[in-house]
Amino acid sequence: MKSTHKVDINLYFKRLRSKLTIALLTAFTLPYLGLMIFFNYQFNNFINETGKLSLIALSESQRNTIDLFLQERVINLFNLFHRADFCKEPHKNNMEVLLKNLRQVSDTFIDLGFLDSKGTQVGYAGPYPHLQNRNYSNQSWFQTITKQKQDYHITDIYLGFRNKPHFAITVKQEIDGQLYFFRTTLEPDQFYNFLRTINQEKGVESLLVNASGFYQVVGPNVGKPFDTAEYIPNKDKASDAVELKKNGDSIMIAHSWLKETQWALLVRQPYSLMYADMQKTRLVITTLLGIVLVIFAVIIWLTTSRLIDYAKNAVAKSNDMRMQLVHATKLASIGELSAGIAHEINNPLAIIVATSGVIRDMLNPEFGLSWETQDLISELDTINSAVFRAKNITSMLLDYGRKNEPNLIPGNVNSLVDGVINGLIEREFKVVDIHFIRQYDPDLPNILLDVDEMSQVILNLINNARDAIKGPGTITITTEHTAEKVKVTITDTGTGMSIDQLKKIFNPFYTTKEVGKGTGLGLGISLSIVESLGGTIDVQSMLGVGSSFIITLPIHQEN
Amino acid sequence: MAIKVLLVDDEKDYILALAKRLKVRDFLVTTVFGGDEALNALSAEPFDVIVLDVLMPGKNGIVTFDEINRRYPTIPVIMHTGHAKVGTAIQEMKKGAFDYIIKPIELDDLIEKINLAHAQRTAFNQRKKSSEKKSNFFTKWFHSKGL
Repeated sequence: MKSTHKVDINLYFKRLRSKLTIALLTAFTLPYLGLMIFFNYQFNNFINETGKLSLIALSESQRNTIDLFLQERVINLFNLFHRADFCKEPHKNNMEVLLKNLRQVSDTFIDLGFLDSKGTQVGYAGPYPHLQNRNYSNQSWFQTITKQKQDYHITDIYLGFRNKPHFAITVKQEIDGQLYFFRTTLEPDQFYNFLRTINQEKGVESLLVNASGFYQVVGPNVGKPFDTAEYIPNKDKASDAVELKKNGDSIMIAHSWLKETQWALLVRQPYSLMYADMQKTRLVITTLLGIVLVIFAVIIWLTTSRLIDYAKNAVAKSNDMRMQLVHATKLASIGELSAGIAHEINNPLAIIVATSGVIRDMLNPEFGLSWETQDLISELDTINSAVFRAKNITSMLLDYGRKNEPNLIPGNVNSLVDGVINGLIEREFKVVDIHFIRQYDPDLPNILLDVDEMSQVILNLINNARDAIKGPGTITITTEHTAEKVKVTITDTGTGMSIDQLKKIFNPFYTTKEVGKGTGLGLGISLSIVESLGGTIDVQSMLGVGSSFIITLPIHQEN
Repeated sequence: MAIKVLLVDDEKDYILALAKRLKVRDFLVTTVFGGDEALNALSAEPFDVIVLDVLMPGKNGIVTFDEINRRYPTIPVIMHTGHAKVGTAIQEMKKGAFDYIIKPIELDDLIEKINLAHAQRTAFNQRKKSSEKKSNFFTKWFHSKGL
């Protein structure tokens, strides 16, 4: 018993320990983890936003630079109309001088052409002399600049007659009602070199795409001119940035639309490079937070362990104390029992001693008593009855202490009660004007019981009821049942009991009856029998009204 | 003169046997089986010594003793107890019981206690009588002097 109890306690504390640890860990670390996640999320957002903004800013500044570059080239061209040596039919040498001047300003100029209002290139200087006198009136750029209000036009990059990627800037001027054009071409390679020189950031690539989404100027790492771009920027937004997944890597691309032409400047940067420092910082912070979390967990675990150990010790101590208390209570009840036995046995002993003294006196010639044999026999009978009274007590005691397994068979409580009452007892009770009232439950189910033992219980209670009734009265026996229980109630119209008496009635040797009538063991024995069947005895009593003893027995499944 | 003893106990067999033994030893014995009967007997005739059982149904020995002590304070009471309730008996002695005796008893012990109780009572009564005589004498003397 003791060892299983201890095992249960150990198991209980083991569970308590894990429960407490989990609960504390959850309580302490969940908010902390939440905070960590929130921090990470915010941090991510923040660096994303920052990265995006800085990339957009970069693209805008590069766009401005390129716009400025293009504007400068346009102005360079316009200036040619206002030179002192300008003439409507330039000689080749004239054109060479003009190109040379232009190239002094910027070496991105490849060639220079002068076109009349019909679109014929009447003057040309540059590496492609066969373009002299070529007519461009069918070219879309020529048609566009002729019709549009704006004085200049910048083409997309195209191959053109020379079959080499280039783009052209054309400006127009009206002289004496006729339109004249200066046209120059620029090579994208040089443009790309220019973009590279204005890029300083690590891993940053700048490139240009046209409105149709084809590369205009692009580095060899990213793509080839005229290919479709990996990202076609939104035309409605002057500048923006998006995140792209490419071959498992994330890249950020910012765009900015040029003002001078229908090109967008793209700046792309891989995430891994973009946030390398940030990621390092985040890793350090996360690691530190993780270490703190582990320290938390260890502290919680240690504290819980110590707490549980304390509690375990306390329980062990209190268990020891409880054991001692139970032992003390047992000793006390043994003391009570001995006092009761002493009283019950001393009384018949006193009778035996006194009566044997009487006989001694009879036989003593000193007193000269005259006596008959009958007198002697009467005294001896008194001694005998005292001896049997003592014997009765000892056999009752044996019954009280006996631990025999009851002989359980299914039986009906109604017929069991009838078996006890019918015949002798009922007639005997009628003589003293006590009548039985039976209120039986006709559907009472059979229950497992020991017929002899239960009969003894019923007999005990009926005898108690009779002894409680002074004068005429009734004993009512009621049986009833629920799904689980059978109830037998024995109610008398006797004297009833006080609360003090009620507290003691199941104690051994407690009796309210006259000497020799009760041993004070009947109710104790009855209770032990009923409890051995898994039942209970309840008592209700009121002084001057009567008492009810309620036996409740469980209905066992008859297997 | 024979000593008049009142035996109070609910154990009839016991008390009747005890009464027989005391009678042959020249005690005048009356037996009653409860507290109320004892008080009735006392109101009917005087007794020299009372032997009173502590544990009785109905009016128990303690209640009965208190009643006797109040009504007849000069009659010595020997408390008679069935089991080792010495504590109760001693309490009663503090309240004025003469002595106590535990069942089962040696008859000679009981007789000794009864005789002792009677002797003390007789001595007390005689002192009381002589003081009454003295006071009578002085009264007469004062009267004779015409005071």
